[in-house]
Amino acid sequence: MVDAVSPTLGPLPRLVALEPIAPKSKMPEFLDDGGTIARRIIELPDRDEDMGAMFVRQVLWNLREKTGDGTATAAVLFRSIYDLGVHYITSGGNAMMLRRYLEEGLPVIMEHLSALARPVEGKEQIAQIAEAICYDPPLARMLGEIFDIIGEHGRLEIRSGRGRGLEREYVEGMYWDQSGVHARQMLDPSTLRVDLENAAIMISDFELEDPYQLMPLLVRAAEAKLTPLVLVAAKLSEKCVGLLMAASKDPSKFHVIAVKTPGLISYDRYGALEDLAILTGGKYFTRTAGQSVAQVQLSDLGRARRAWADRFNFGIIGGKGDPRALRDHIASLRLAFSRAEDKNDRRNIQKRIGKLLGGSATLYVGGLTKADADARKELAERTAEALRGTIREGVIPGGGASLLSCKPMLQKIADESADVDRRAAYRILARAMEAPMRTIISNAGYDASEVMAEVKLAGPGYGFDVRSGRVVDMAEAGIFDALSVQKEAVHSAVSSAALALTIDVLVHRKKPPQATNP
Amino acid sequence: MLPDESMFATYESVSKEETPMAGNNEEAKMRDEEDIVYALAASPDFVNDGICFAARRTGLYRSDDGGISWHNACASLNLEGTLATMAVAVSPGFRSDRTVFVGVVGGVLCSSDGGEKWSFEVFRTPPPLISTLAISPDFANDGTIFAGTLEDGVFRSADRGSHWAAWNFGLLDLSILCLAVSPGFAADETIFAGTDSGIFRSTNGGRAWREIDFPGELAPVLCLALSPDYPSSGILFAGTEAHGLYRSSDRGKTWQRLGEEVIDGTVNCVLVSPEFPTRPGLLAVLSNTLLFSPDGGETWRPWKEGLNITQGITTAIAPCGLEPAAPLLIGLVGGQVLRI
Repeated sequence: MVDAVSPTLGPLPRLVALEPIAPKSKMPEFLDDGGTIARRIIELPDRDEDMGAMFVRQVLWNLREKTGDGTATAAVLFRSIYDLGVHYITSGGNAMMLRRYLEEGLPVIMEHLSALARPVEGKEQIAQIAEAICYDPPLARMLGEIFDIIGEHGRLEIRSGRGRGLEREYVEGMYWDQSGVHARQMLDPSTLRVDLENAAIMISDFELEDPYQLMPLLVRAAEAKLTPLVLVAAKLSEKCVGLLMAASKDPSKFHVIAVKTPGLISYDRYGALEDLAILTGGKYFTRTAGQSVAQVQLSDLGRARRAWADRFNFGIIGGKGDPRALRDHIASLRLAFSRAEDKNDRRNIQKRIGKLLGGSATLYVGGLTKADADARKELAERTAEALRGTIREGVIPGGGASLLSCKPMLQKIADESADVDRRAAYRILARAMEAPMRTIISNAGYDASEVMAEVKLAGPGYGFDVRSGRVVDMAEAGIFDALSVQKEAVHSAVSSAALALTIDVLVHRKKPPQATNP
Repeated sequence: MLPDESMFATYESVSKEETPMAGNNEEAKMRDEEDIVYALAASPDFVNDGICFAARRTGLYRSDDGGISWHNACASLNLEGTLATMAVAVSPGFRSDRTVFVGVVGGVLCSSDGGEKWSFEVFRTPPPLISTLAISPDFANDGTIFAGTLEDGVFRSADRGSHWAAWNFGLLDLSILCLAVSPGFAADETIFAGTDSGIFRSTNGGRAWREIDFPGELAPVLCLALSPDYPSSGILFAGTEAHGLYRSSDRGKTWQRLGEEVIDGTVNCVLVSPEFPTRPGLLAVLSNTLLFSPDGGETWRPWKEGLNITQGITTAIAPCGLEPAAPLLIGLVGGQVLRI
């Protein structure tokens, strides 16, 4: 498995040709992304090897899902640690102790890498990092511009393009999809949209069946000249629609529309209501709290400079909530994001933060054919995911130079260790730290040993720029890797290799199951 | 009109009847109504041409004699009533392009002939209240100008004011009280926005904003000023509504309070000497006082001994720098502009 993935490491990767699962007349698939290659390999002939390969496949795919990149780095690190570990164990070493000390060395490496981090600044640098991930310069430039604007939590939608190239657009304010108007009659027939200025907003998940429930609120709002009015409600009966349409007969005097409460599941819904309330300075009402329309006061309504809705979306621009409360809310969401373990939870929190930051971007990815466009769209999504982590945590000198710089420290710990297993573990880690750079150099067609010797002579922070064929200071040459990706790759490789080294027995099923998904 | 000694009249010699804008009865009447000077701006060539503008609640006024007399600069609009103007900015290349921008409710007035004729660029509805304008120092090349508003964040134009778009990514507070563009904007694309609740910075020409570490409890931030060597030194100053004046030397990461003993409360404006840091002069414009620091904020003294301004000071400009003999124009509550 690692042999299939490792040729893809570096800016001058080699391609891997995969025979398609479909009929033989189809051309092989040429891939240069480690995660995708791993996913395509679903079975090896030898059952023991197959089990090992599937284990690595799982590790690499999980890494790809989490960070979008780093699978080839993790693969070569894994192999190096595993091979050296097996050698140690077969010559009498203690596997369990070895595992323990390998895992002990992990935070040491993480700390060292974190200390090398520098922030990503400006669209050029972001584009550089993006290009190192996707190897698609136009896409990288576009993503560089977008992320320079929206930031690491900003909302970015990547859609299939209308043409062959790349386009982007920026949308002001925040909007929620699956939250359009309850009735099409509320829309301007010429634009299929309604735009309101200085709107008051009732924020709820009420199911409004009886128009008499709404009457008192509408009367109070009309008397107070609180128009236009937006009712956010989960359901609206036909009779209530009728009431609202009648009340809005002369929109210049009074105008009220109703939009659906954002969020399909209750967790998302409450999050959206909370966000909307803080953004607009209003109060939100929920059925589960036993609240009803009768309890809504005019002072509970949120305010926004502009509100708009169409059949599918509802948005606001210029919410009039307290900016300090908004800041605190975003800070608490950021904290929740950093603590969230579950990928879906992180994604949802990130979406919420993105909405609250006041704008979003849409990237349209086209291609010569639909297959091209789909592949490029997937590449864009993966790169975007990796870029978020990069902007959040920063960058480190790339090309394997940062990992190589861990070597002297690990070697020192090894030399100072009295315990033989500990010494072995740190030596294994120290040697493994060379593996990514060696692989990058080899993949580009150079003699790894010769170049590595030059790099070591040059000193810390130096690496090999395979494009120019020179040993350079990687930071000065602008060659960086994302810290988040490197850390995850190291973590995956070390922890999975350490685990694999303690596997003594393989138990097979009589009829093994097949799965295309890891 | 070329400047001469008589233009550098001291404050003491200017009586109420002789105050600027007393040139005609209409001006005098306006002076006494509820008027206020929101902003002042001067031609970059003020020493030679004496041109400056005052944005007042009752309209835009222009002086061609260094601030001694004023006339309505929007007369060509033939408006029936007064036109409240809240912000004014003059192009760095005014000498050749004669470009002036004025912030009004709902949009920006643009003139390319020094204020003789105007075009009105309407912003999208609801009509925003323009509170401040800031022009790129590289305006001749990039044509970039920013308009801060009281409820709609920051609008940006990159074509000399013909088209405007709101760029508020990351701007969590849309109530913009002041803007300050980096002197090195052409390279660093940096601009700061002072708001009701803090300070935001953009490093991509105003397309996106990030909050900087200015303590929220010290806000609102009424004024910002960057050192002329900001690109290398990272020095900037922030004046607050109720907590005095602050300086940062690291682009806004950390802040130190200046003149705590003498500067307490509102700082409406802060001016930095064009020779800063070689000659680190600073002028803090408080509600009723002008305080000068010759050493970048370490020590402070009154700008002029015996200067007693009873009306509130709203703004000030020092078009010839902060040297002792250089003229200072200050805007007052009541609509007057004093030249001292």
